[in-house]
Amino acid sequence: MGRIKKKGQSGAAKNYITRNQAVRKLQISLPDFRKLCIWRGIFPREPNNRKKANKSSTASTTFYYAKDIQYLLHEPLLQKFRDQKALEKKISKALGRGDVTDAARLERNAARPEKTGRPPYTLDHLVRERYPTFVDALRDLDDALSMLFLFASLPSTPAVPAKMIARCERLCLEFQHYLIVSQSLRKSFLSIKGIYYQATIQGVDILWLVPYKFNQRVVGDIDFRIMGTFVQFYMTLLKFINFKLYSSVGLVYPPKFDQNRDESAAELGAFTLEGNAAKALADASVQPMITEGESEKSTDPKTQAAVNKLIKQMKDTGVDGQQDVATTSTDAEDAAIDKFEPAAPGGDILPQPVHSSGDPGQLFANCTFFLSRETPRQPLEFILKAFGCKRVGWDAVLGDGAYTTNPEDPAITHQIVDRPIVQAAQDSGDNQTAQKLGPNQRMPGRIYVQPQWVWDSINDEELKRPDLYAPGAQLPPHLSPFVQSTHGGYDPTIPLEDQEPEEEALQDSDEELESDEDEEEEEDEKADGNLAVKAIKGAAADGMDVAGSDDDDEEEEGGEGDTTFGGFSEGEDAEADDGEPEEEDPELQYQRELIAEMTGQPVAQKPALNPKAKAKADARKKLLAQAKEEAEDIERAKGMLSKKKRKLHDQMMYTNNKKSAEDQKLREKRRKLEKQKARQAPA
Amino acid sequence: MAPRSQMKRKASTAAAEAEAATFSDDEFGDGVLEGVLSDDSEDEENSDDEAEDVDGQDEEDLDSDEVPSDPDVDEKDADENDGPRYRVEKDANGGERYVYDEIDPVYDSDDSDAQDPENTIGDIPLKFYDQYPHIGYNIDGKKIMRPASGKALDALLDTIEIPKGWTGLTDPATGKPLNLSREELELLRKVQMQEIPEEGYDPYPEYVPWFTQDEETMPISAAPEPKRRFLPSKHEQQRIMKIVRAIREGRIQPYKPPEEREQDEDEEEEMYDLWANEEAQPPHVMHIPAPKVAPPGFDLSYNPPPEYLPNKDEKKKWEETDPEDREKQYLPHGYDALRKVPAYDTFVKESFDRCLDLYLAPRVRRTRLNIDPNSLLPKLPRAEELRPFPTVGAVEYNHGTRVRSVAVDPTGQWVASGGDDGAVKFWELRSGKQMASIRISADEPVNVVRWRPGSAILTAAAGQDVYFIIPPMLDQEVQQANRAALDTGFGYATNGKQATLTSNGARKDPPGTWARPGARLEDQGVLLKITVRADVKVINWHRRGDFFCTVSPTGQRSAVAIHTLSKHLTQIPFRKLPGLAQTAQFHPSRPLLFVALQRTIRVYDLQKQELVKAIQPGARWISSFDIHAASGDHLIVGSYDRRLLWHDLELSARPYKTMRFHPNAIRQVKYSRNFPLFADASDDGTIQLFHGRVHNDLMTDPTLVPLKQLKGHKVVNNLGVMDIDWHPTNPWLVSAGADGTCRLWA
Repeated sequence: MGRIKKKGQSGAAKNYITRNQAVRKLQISLPDFRKLCIWRGIFPREPNNRKKANKSSTASTTFYYAKDIQYLLHEPLLQKFRDQKALEKKISKALGRGDVTDAARLERNAARPEKTGRPPYTLDHLVRERYPTFVDALRDLDDALSMLFLFASLPSTPAVPAKMIARCERLCLEFQHYLIVSQSLRKSFLSIKGIYYQATIQGVDILWLVPYKFNQRVVGDIDFRIMGTFVQFYMTLLKFINFKLYSSVGLVYPPKFDQNRDESAAELGAFTLEGNAAKALADASVQPMITEGESEKSTDPKTQAAVNKLIKQMKDTGVDGQQDVATTSTDAEDAAIDKFEPAAPGGDILPQPVHSSGDPGQLFANCTFFLSRETPRQPLEFILKAFGCKRVGWDAVLGDGAYTTNPEDPAITHQIVDRPIVQAAQDSGDNQTAQKLGPNQRMPGRIYVQPQWVWDSINDEELKRPDLYAPGAQLPPHLSPFVQSTHGGYDPTIPLEDQEPEEEALQDSDEELESDEDEEEEEDEKADGNLAVKAIKGAAADGMDVAGSDDDDEEEEGGEGDTTFGGFSEGEDAEADDGEPEEEDPELQYQRELIAEMTGQPVAQKPALNPKAKAKADARKKLLAQAKEEAEDIERAKGMLSKKKRKLHDQMMYTNNKKSAEDQKLREKRRKLEKQKARQAPA
Repeated sequence: MAPRSQMKRKASTAAAEAEAATFSDDEFGDGVLEGVLSDDSEDEENSDDEAEDVDGQDEEDLDSDEVPSDPDVDEKDADENDGPRYRVEKDANGGERYVYDEIDPVYDSDDSDAQDPENTIGDIPLKFYDQYPHIGYNIDGKKIMRPASGKALDALLDTIEIPKGWTGLTDPATGKPLNLSREELELLRKVQMQEIPEEGYDPYPEYVPWFTQDEETMPISAAPEPKRRFLPSKHEQQRIMKIVRAIREGRIQPYKPPEEREQDEDEEEEMYDLWANEEAQPPHVMHIPAPKVAPPGFDLSYNPPPEYLPNKDEKKKWEETDPEDREKQYLPHGYDALRKVPAYDTFVKESFDRCLDLYLAPRVRRTRLNIDPNSLLPKLPRAEELRPFPTVGAVEYNHGTRVRSVAVDPTGQWVASGGDDGAVKFWELRSGKQMASIRISADEPVNVVRWRPGSAILTAAAGQDVYFIIPPMLDQEVQQANRAALDTGFGYATNGKQATLTSNGARKDPPGTWARPGARLEDQGVLLKITVRADVKVINWHRRGDFFCTVSPTGQRSAVAIHTLSKHLTQIPFRKLPGLAQTAQFHPSRPLLFVALQRTIRVYDLQKQELVKAIQPGARWISSFDIHAASGDHLIVGSYDRRLLWHDLELSARPYKTMRFHPNAIRQVKYSRNFPLFADASDDGTIQLFHGRVHNDLMTDPTLVPLKQLKGHKVVNNLGVMDIDWHPTNPWLVSAGADGTCRLWA
């Protein structure tokens, strides 16, 4: 006989602890508890049974995992918090006594993070505890980067000290430098919220969002203390990640930071990267002053030779950070993974990593860019450099650190422009040959593109056609590179005909037929994409020719028949549909023949039915009957399910239907738009 | 008393006296007391005052200014002091009249208390006199006139220079202004400061060392000075050494002023590789990583494909919905150039919300089923593969009134129906032609009709009677054979024997009386009648055609009866049943009797006379059940609580499948004898057909497939289909409806 179990002694009642209980157990204030939770990554749980977890009470409370709180008991920060609290008490007591010198002495010990931006404790151990391996840390970097980039662009307020902002900015720029050096930026996307970036570091995809460079509007009640708590942790995290990343590519961390250049808005240019022994990477990125003097760097054989020699030297020594990257990339070519083709059928196919032919990191390697005044310099500079471009120049007003600030530099191959075309320039069709002065001044031998060109190029890993992105041109839609196309879902990149289901296609072509009869031929060709309809239509086209040879009256009659038929087949009663038309047809035919006999006229050819419409109606009827049968089958099978499974099935069907309804809506919209466009085009 | 108040009071009283004097003339004619009256005391006072207040002369002057009559009075007083104590006046008759001054009774010469505040009104509040010109009465009963007060001039003068001792208060006893002297003020201050009010009290007198001021020649104690007075303390030494040792060991640090915090905040702390010796740990079971923010879709693009842009209606709808109810927190928007993209309004808000989600939102691990919902559905054989089964109504038999029961005869040619009109009607199955109609009861409805297996004898129950009918449309030969079968029992004469005596001697009714039904019915083919104790609702024949059981749910002890046709014997097998019997049936192959009570079905072995098994379908009220004829191990149960249950007797006492497809009660369930089919009849007017195949292999579960709903019967008074019966050879079904018709479904 086992002991009788007491209620509340085991299971959920022991596993979970409410927030108030936790605070009381730790003997700290609620804000401190909140801080600890944020830093330790402790989050509330939802027990399976709230009643069991909360002593049969159903009051709405927050539950924490009891073990989490137990771990917190041994947290060294807890002692720090208590010390801090004791010190505050001492200060206030001293002030109450009027003992100013004592208070001042104690005050010197107190940390004032709201002033200095630096708390009296470090969070290093927390980072290590939360992320036992480096990859774990990378996995959680999304939120950290988004938040740090946001804080880097916030104005300083009492809640957000300027020191903190400066630190955020530095960390972000250092991280960007790593991405440039390692060329691990993969994708980027211009959204209405900001710019999304995706990088792949050690096989981990990291996605973060950077706001556009505007003053952020603070609406609603936003507690910056909470955000600040997060940012404190994220700063520590990114600091260590940066260190690890820098050391992994053989760079010294922290990189040298030039305060003066930072003040002149050099941003990325304010850092000087150093290799562990030698440094040559900096040559390219932070030596614009020298290169500026040389006008034709690429064509000058002397310089070319010198550069070649230098590179050779560096290869020999093998100490340069950037060169390491280069060598590894060549190594990678040798060690490129092979494609596994199934030798015999029947085996499973394993997904293999996509191996692109060209190195995406060198996409812009041969280009020299110049950014016009109105373009967003920071994201463009970062992206272009991350994709291999060494020479990015911009207008002097955009800040320091440009490769060139001279817009007439002949080395420039691409210029990024984002300004409307002034009317006078419209006659110059080709943007490359146009040579005009004034507002639309163009330099010969240069490609002018809008900023979207850069983003679309990197997402597709190829340089897009620049004429589509010429200044003032109607830009093609900017598509998110993060969307995975699902089977049956709507995909804007695929033509409509390839993705619409059969019944929609039928309905679509039906509408077309009704709307404009005279364009039938063209639409036939158009609708060719759909195979199911094509065969029927092909058959119908013959009949149409015959009908076309007849006089107009009959064609009109045919039109009427079509409309009445359409009305009939719209009825939901499929059983009636099955029987009647077939029965009716011979009867009608017979009637007509009789009349024809009486009047002595030749028999009218296929009077009641437009053959095309008939074929379509048949197809639709078949679809309808099939759908009905399927529905009946499902209903029958559903009857045999248990209640639980039936509910699950219904739920799944609900979500699926909702999704497909959304897709259908999108297709409908697109169809309408395409039709509009087609109508406008001939006009 | 402050001199000022004295003066004032004096002046005012004098004035009052003067007035009183004038009044008194009218009221008191005699001047007897006047001689006695004197103003001595007043004068003395007056002189005293004057002597005291040399420096207060100005005020006096002022006072005299205030009341101009005062000096006159004074003079008059002075005059009076000199002259006789009376005045000579003329009375009304012109004679002399001595008018004496008022007598001053010099009470106050030895009574200082009475003098000062001339309180003549006692404890009465002063305001009671507000309406009168006087305040109280003096000892002579004359009115004491109210002191002159509140005059504008007085007030003005008072404000110009505050007189000495003036407090601005009014003496509540007299209504005169309350003045305080310096001593009085000093006294008040002392009381207020909680000092001792006594004059000249010294709280801190010089300490006089009474006991040690003088050295005595003889000391009190002659003990020598102790040694400890001259030696350093050992205890103190120990304590000091403790501290010294602690300092030496470094346990106590000597105070150091805290070093100046480095002002250079930019100085980087030491960097190190946090993950230098990392080792992967499997994540904790209870740890749930935070879900990532969903990557942006096409509609978030600054220049999305045009179909993603909302039209006017969608935009309006989005704007009208509450921000919390919106499916998306943003509205897609297209810009034709990057420079036109504005800042995102709620960027900070959204990242704040994300922070809140990270640390406030309870996390639950949910397994999302990413499967095709159709994979949940069982693979059912297609209905076409399960043919044949009845699909359409083929023949309709119009009985007229509500049909309670229907039965197809063993040859499959005839259909018998019994209805509310008390008539049993015979129909030809295929044509629907009525062959005969026998009204067996005038007032009772026919509850049930059943054919005897293997022969063309119909048993029909109306009220307490069970009739045996040989249908008249049969051949004579067959009829003769059936008659013989019915009549053999008469030889046994069990009727008389059965009427036994009970224990207490009372004669007990026999459980069933077998008799001829009467000449009229006999002519129509009704040859035999059994009368039992209660209304019979159910008849079920044993497969051999000799036994049948009847169930009368109201019959309590004798609810279930077993009849032997060959012996005309009626037996009641159960002394007591644990509930209301609903229906009973013989097992198709073994000597078992199944009795359905309200909630359970009990299986009895008739030979051993014992309970074999109790089946619990879990229904609240069983209406009917049927046993699978081929296997004998399967059972379907219909219940009034809308459930149809399939039982595997070998498997468990609980149902194998529960089917709830009817919105109303199920009245009847039946297995088909030759086909793997079964059907149920419900009050909703439908019959549901199922395919139910029982496999010979014991390991395979029976296959159940819903096939068809046969709709045709109308619902009358909440009753739909009352009874069903399968055709013995074909996959046909006959149903009886509350709408007065029977139908053949083929």
